Amino acid sequence: MLKDYLDRDIYNLITKTFSFSDITEIRMRANENLIIIVKNKKYYLKDDNGEFVKVNRNVIENFVRRASENSIYAFNDNIVNGFITLPKGIRVGLCGNIVTDGDKIVTVKDFQSVNIRIPHVIRNCSLPAFDYLVNDDVKNTLIISPPGSGKTTFIRDFIYQLYTHNISKNVLIADERNEICSVINGEPNIDLGGFCDIYTNCTKKFAFKNGIRSMRPDVIVTDEIDLEKDLDSIVEAMNCGVNVIATIHAKDINQLKKKPNFDKILDEKFFSRFVVLSSDEGPGTLTNIYDEKLNCIYCRCV
Amino acid sequence: MIKWILIIILIVVIMLIAYSVSEQIRDKYDFFNNLKQFLNQFKINVAFRQEKINEFLQKSNSKKQFKVFVDEYLNFLKTGELCLEKIKVLEEDDKQILQDIVKNIGKYDAKNEISQMESFLLTVDEKLAKANEDKNKLCPMIIKLSLLFAIGLAILLI
Repeated sequence: MLKDYLDRDIYNLITKTFSFSDITEIRMRANENLIIIVKNKKYYLKDDNGEFVKVNRNVIENFVRRASENSIYAFNDNIVNGFITLPKGIRVGLCGNIVTDGDKIVTVKDFQSVNIRIPHVIRNCSLPAFDYLVNDDVKNTLIISPPGSGKTTFIRDFIYQLYTHNISKNVLIADERNEICSVINGEPNIDLGGFCDIYTNCTKKFAFKNGIRSMRPDVIVTDEIDLEKDLDSIVEAMNCGVNVIATIHAKDINQLKKKPNFDKILDEKFFSRFVVLSSDEGPGTLTNIYDEKLNCIYCRCV
Repeated sequence: MIKWILIIILIVVIMLIAYSVSEQIRDKYDFFNNLKQFLNQFKINVAFRQEKINEFLQKSNSKKQFKVFVDEYLNFLKTGELCLEKIKVLEEDDKQILQDIVKNIGKYDAKNEISQMESFLLTVDEKLAKANEDKNKLCPMIIKLSLLFAIGLAILLI
């Protein structure tokens, strides 16, 4: 799936040693060894002589050129936010020299490193939590985990489960970074069932406000919220009778408590479920579920 | 009788050669005209629709030598190799401009891409003006001179 984008020699070496279905990340840093992450374990790519494969800047520049289909201008809105989305939901994180005009980021140039994250649809990974999050209605839920611990995989499967359990809710997905559904040319690359309407590459504020007006959602699903920036939109949606499922970066509930506005969330009982995921047994390991008073209602046996 | 037929054939051949030479000059003008249109349309694309370069090229309704260029450009996007030898109407410095265009389009954000297009348009405008001058001056001259040459040759043969 990365054949059209990666350097041919690197692609051949990767396919010789690994299966793309197992790889979760490929990291290329200029003048450093290429790293492959498989099931949370880090491997250095080796060539046929057993030497570590070093990545030079040309490989990175060519990768970005191919990933942007030789059209940086068409991807610049994403590039200034540090990523490009490839088909099948593959997320390419970019680091390089940031070009600014006053306070505004104009573009990124001289790419120094790329992090290719390959999504995996893990069917039924949200099932252990499903009954805690849905009874007659879908509960307002905040999914908590550190980066790379399966939040997006979890919500993808959760949306799909709503469909397979025939819970006929209109689900609006506010996919700010086109990561949940990977919509390319108007078609989602990931099957999320038949109840979804999708906003991609737009702010959460826009998606929440306009989505409620125009798409009449029952549930809004969104990824990686910022409690300072996005809370108003979320509360407004909840006050309109729309349930919200959102994810946030934090290691556990104690770390979440330190985030701004969390006291408000707890006092006002905006969310009735807090689901904590970890990578203990691979990404997406369900660790805890808390209710609106932070009573633990599910705890993983270790 | 055969002599007259040979003379007529000679005149026709000379005129065909003259026509083909002048056609090449016209083709060069058409090429730069198409290139100018292409750059202008691409500028609008970058400013508004932001179609990727390969989608934009596939939609372009090009003819003759400019179609050769578009095909080579699409091939470059796939393979990274650019071969402009097939474009017969252009000289080396013209091909250098095309190489610069192909290798630089799509490398920048929209604002800088448009500035770059404007800079290329200035160069292409100069080339177009020269090609237009050649077309207006040289084409009629080649036809007239060839006709005179053919008639002169015919008189000598008679």
